[in-house]
Amino acid sequence: MVGLSDRISGTFFLILGLTMYLYVNPNYIESVDGGSIAPRTFPNIISLIIAVCGGVLLFKPTSQKTPDLRSVGITAFYVLLLVIGLFAMSKYGFEYVAPVLALAIMLAIGERRPLWLTFGTVGIPLLIWFLVSVVLGRALP
Amino acid sequence: MVDLTTILAGFADAFTLYNLTFVLLGVVLGQFVGAVPGIGPIMAMAIAIPFTFGLDTLPAIAFLVGVNKGGLVGGAVPAILMNTPGTPDAAATALDGHPLAKQGKPLKATKMALFSSVTGDTFSDIVLITVSAPLAILALRMGPIEIVALMIFAFSILTGLIGNSLTKGIIAAALGLLVACIGQDPENYTPRLIFGYWDLFDGLPLPSVAIGMLAISEMLRRMSIAHGGKMKSAIVDMDTGNPDDKRVTFAEYWSCRYTLVRGATIGTILGALPGIGSTAAAFMSYAMAKGASKDPASFGKGNLHGVAASESANSAVVGANLIPLLTLGIPGSVGAALIISAFMIHGIQPGPLLFEQQGRLVYGLFGAMIMANFVNLWVGQIGLRFWVKVVSAPESIIFASALLLCIVGVSMATSGLFGVAIMLIFAVIGYVMSSFGYSLVIFIIAFFLGPRFEKSIAQSLALTNGDLTLMLKSPVAVALLVMSVLSFFWFMRKNAQEN
Repeated sequence: MVGLSDRISGTFFLILGLTMYLYVNPNYIESVDGGSIAPRTFPNIISLIIAVCGGVLLFKPTSQKTPDLRSVGITAFYVLLLVIGLFAMSKYGFEYVAPVLALAIMLAIGERRPLWLTFGTVGIPLLIWFLVSVVLGRALP
Repeated sequence: MVDLTTILAGFADAFTLYNLTFVLLGVVLGQFVGAVPGIGPIMAMAIAIPFTFGLDTLPAIAFLVGVNKGGLVGGAVPAILMNTPGTPDAAATALDGHPLAKQGKPLKATKMALFSSVTGDTFSDIVLITVSAPLAILALRMGPIEIVALMIFAFSILTGLIGNSLTKGIIAAALGLLVACIGQDPENYTPRLIFGYWDLFDGLPLPSVAIGMLAISEMLRRMSIAHGGKMKSAIVDMDTGNPDDKRVTFAEYWSCRYTLVRGATIGTILGALPGIGSTAAAFMSYAMAKGASKDPASFGKGNLHGVAASESANSAVVGANLIPLLTLGIPGSVGAALIISAFMIHGIQPGPLLFEQQGRLVYGLFGAMIMANFVNLWVGQIGLRFWVKVVSAPESIIFASALLLCIVGVSMATSGLFGVAIMLIFAVIGYVMSSFGYSLVIFIIAFFLGPRFEKSIAQSLALTNGDLTLMLKSPVAVALLVMSVLSFFWFMRKNAQEN
């Protein structure tokens, strides 16, 4: 359906702009006496611009295609993989999680060749460890 | 403004073995990643920035400039061999480069791309070195009122030129400005929109936002395309046996001289304007070369002029992009925005004062840029045969290693996994925004300019006691505001006609 993509994003930005203006900015920005511009003024103006432009898109959409749901689903899977990887990294450290994360990503992309899988799982984390810990002398996450 | 001693000292700094080593490393890395479809110089620069923290400013910036310049040369390799441009800039190169490769002349095409790229790049660097100091003197006469007007003008151009919808451009710019509000208010230093996370008090970390938006979101997109599928398309055979098909003679190069100068001029002019970018320059130069040719029918079938036109123009954009950055502090492209972030990470604020306060560094950068062109030529001559092999590296290993490097790089830059989490959030935002047709370039540039924009507004209000009509007493500000309004209506009309 022509215009659906912009109607979806336009509605989102209309709601976002109004929510920022009416709820978020008043509650999460402190007010200060004095000064030439209040801390809330600039974010308020920006929020209104977002809301107005969202409204314009809602009523005058372009021919932007709607994103392919399959691609969005696959991307969501990779994001989930990264979130789990980061959470595990915060618990167990880069040294243990990076090889597993690299292997999971490679397998998900479709890599099945043992040599490349071994290189990605062992070689790449080892190279990063060498670069960061040995050459740069910095700590890994 | 900058005395000769400072200029010479700057150039001397660039020519030290230490700095030249980083230029060389940058160019090698740039050509390597440019040759890999899916990474490209911008992503490589974003990933490399955190790793330059431990370096001095000049080698760090020289390294990033090397990555950018090398990436444009490397990007032509997959465009020519696989008809899959490593960077969007190289898409026009593929039009004639790939047919040449199919005729058994892939090395001739890649070498012509290399020579044209270095020619265009050197041309625009000379223009940059010549015009930026006088422009900075002019820019120094601007006060906060003129700076506000200038930024409004820059936003009006950016939102109109990038993407196919002015409304979406404005939303992307407004979102970037809104995100830049997170952290301290620039006038009163009170916390804004930090939601109890005191890690956000200094604002969102630049590396997290830049790498998330530019590198990770693009990787997510490409991974979703590559998911479970075949890894690579066919690469043309390199071995032809005829030595003439493997080289570009001086006569062939010289026959393209007008095409090269035209391409370099187009790239330099477009590069100096914020937001247009090298892809547009390459296609415009290609179209003009075809129009000026006595044999336009041969374009698209393997004409060396097509490669020369595209590569000279897209490479000329790199140097010219630094003109608004160094003179006004306004990045004209994502590459320039990343260089601005590297400057800021090292505690240096780009803008007209840069020449006065960091003249030696600026001329050191100019020296490094010129050297990077020679190094690009040298590395390209030796490396092209190797980059051809790089093209066939599996995407699975490239994405897995790039993701791990991003995580480690951002963690180093932001001292912990909080910055990495922000990076991931912005990767998702970037992915969603680009899926719905919103420009990430505008977002990033607005994010970089946001604090300065707001501070300039506050200073203008303080100077005029809150009476903004006093702005009209500045002829420069009035001219810029009138131009902003005119460009806004012009883009609005253009959009309405296109739709």
